[in-house]
Amino acid sequence: MDFFANMITGFSVALEPMNLAFCFIGVFVGTLIGVLPGIGPVGTMAILLPITYGIPPTTAIIMLSGIYYGAQYGGSTTSILVGIPGEAASVITTIDGYQMALQGRAGPALGIAAFGSFIAGTIGIVGLQLLAPPLVALALRFGPPEYFSLMILGLVILTYLAQKAMGKALMMAGVGILLGTVGLDTMTGVPRFTWNIPELLDGVGIAPLAMGLFGISEILLNVERKIKHEIVTTELKHLLPSRKDWGESIGPILRSSVVGFFLGILPGGGAVLSSFVTYGMEKRLSKTPEQFGKGAIAGVAAPEAANNAAAQGAFIPLLTLGIPANVVMGMLLGALMIHNIVPGPMMIKDHPGLFWGVIASMYVGNVMLLVLNLPLIGLWVKLLQVPYSILFPMILFICLLGGYVINNSVFDLYLMLFFGVAGYLMRKFDYEPAPLILAYVLSSLLENALRQSLILSGGSMQIFVTRPISAGCLVLAVVLLASSILPRIRARRKMLVEQAEEAK
Amino acid sequence: MNSDRLSSLFWFALGVGSIYGSVRLGLGTTGEPGSGFMPFAAGAFICAMALFVFLQSFQGGQHRLSALWPGGHWRRPLAVGVLTLAYIVVLETLGFSLTGFLLLAIIMRGLEKLSWKKTLIISILTLAVSYVVFKVFLKATLPPGILGF
Repeated sequence: MDFFANMITGFSVALEPMNLAFCFIGVFVGTLIGVLPGIGPVGTMAILLPITYGIPPTTAIIMLSGIYYGAQYGGSTTSILVGIPGEAASVITTIDGYQMALQGRAGPALGIAAFGSFIAGTIGIVGLQLLAPPLVALALRFGPPEYFSLMILGLVILTYLAQKAMGKALMMAGVGILLGTVGLDTMTGVPRFTWNIPELLDGVGIAPLAMGLFGISEILLNVERKIKHEIVTTELKHLLPSRKDWGESIGPILRSSVVGFFLGILPGGGAVLSSFVTYGMEKRLSKTPEQFGKGAIAGVAAPEAANNAAAQGAFIPLLTLGIPANVVMGMLLGALMIHNIVPGPMMIKDHPGLFWGVIASMYVGNVMLLVLNLPLIGLWVKLLQVPYSILFPMILFICLLGGYVINNSVFDLYLMLFFGVAGYLMRKFDYEPAPLILAYVLSSLLENALRQSLILSGGSMQIFVTRPISAGCLVLAVVLLASSILPRIRARRKMLVEQAEEAK
Repeated sequence: MNSDRLSSLFWFALGVGSIYGSVRLGLGTTGEPGSGFMPFAAGAFICAMALFVFLQSFQGGQHRLSALWPGGHWRRPLAVGVLTLAYIVVLETLGFSLTGFLLLAIIMRGLEKLSWKKTLIISILTLAVSYVVFKVFLKATLPPGILGF
């Protein structure tokens, strides 16, 4: 019975005209930036963060969520038609999607991506709705040590997935934590690392930081060379997949939805990971694996379904524990905190309208997205033809406007430019900004949990290993860290042995 | 110079700096951690990881510094960065519309070599739309400057 009562609460909130309007803005902007390569959901959420200061928190979260799952829809369009991913989670879709477009089957590819996304999104929302309440009950038993260890685990998983160079990713997490400590210490009121700059007493704002690292830095990186791309625009009719297409896709869609959803819950996981995993899974399960890479429709359906389901799953840790699973959720957490709402187990009870309203808005948003992405596909294709030389000055200008209006402060703009340049250099030197920003968002939560735990235990670090949930998280984190080093050790040993034998 | 070796030295210095700052803030005791406790831990961790990256850089396979910006690829980002800086410096004196117009026009005409017609239309349209969104809908305060709007 609760299920329906909650849904009624949710829909009564989601269907308010103002929320409907912002839900539409969210999914529309999400699709837009999903379609446009060179700007992702994190950058966009950062740019739109200033707008959320002026609207109620529920409306703000509805809009920001819409951008996130909307981008998963839009990303597929670019992947299929241009062959370059519009968005990180659509990287894998380019493989078979672009092949289908080259074979004149762009229509069904776009169609199955939209339908697959819709089905998966819906499955994801149902999962979110069913899983959130029991997890909240579990989360209520969490004390500071459990929170601390869980956050550490989340950061380790995130850096683990940044396989490229785990040492660098971990270092970025350290820098993020350090940045998060700038400003007045909440417990003692002592200013930290403020360099006598009054604007820094409140800390480094999330908006200038995120806009710099994800907005400005991406622009600087993209203007290095002029981007040119070929778009496949022929045969955009027959968007509705045929019966045969459905037959080949429905299994992968359903399987990938479930897998994607659970991978989305994983801290540090999310949409990108899920699209890769399910693509590999479907290729293995397929009767015709040789078709993958040559335009298999299942190769489009599976990752597109997975990234949408994962986008919903990722809300679970944030809404139940108050811990963001990935960077996008970190941005949402930042937005909630701006409104003095601390997400976590109490949120469902303290702000039921927000909690269920946001979930219900996702149903509404998914329907909007289906309409936006099927009949209006032509509009997005037109948009793809707008050259970057026109787009980036506009994006830059909007960043500069948004950065200013939050506090009417030029200081924020300097900060934004500073982090923009820093982010640009970081990317040049192969340091990813994602762990930095997630750690930054978690920093104060982490510090409070650590201090409270230590006060609780009278100064003994043992508290983190004697409590089972906390110990479990830490053991898992250590195992992950060790496993990332081990193959290298093994490879090194092998090399040394071989060299030794050669020397003989 | 190997790019990883250079960058790790930078991060190491940052780590050392934050350790120094944390000690001055006061570390407290484990029973009652002070303001410097967390930044100290973060700084020490950054140093450790920087050392790790530094040592790894001797294994080879990394970029040389000169390979990061082949063929003058630093010029356009630098130009955009400098223009952005100039925008911020004059924003409150010249006002949002004039500064915005100059930024958009200089980038599109000067850097991207669009035609005058395109540059003017797009700049003015962008300004008009952002004025309506920020000023009219969001009621944000934008610096009026010398033009008065």
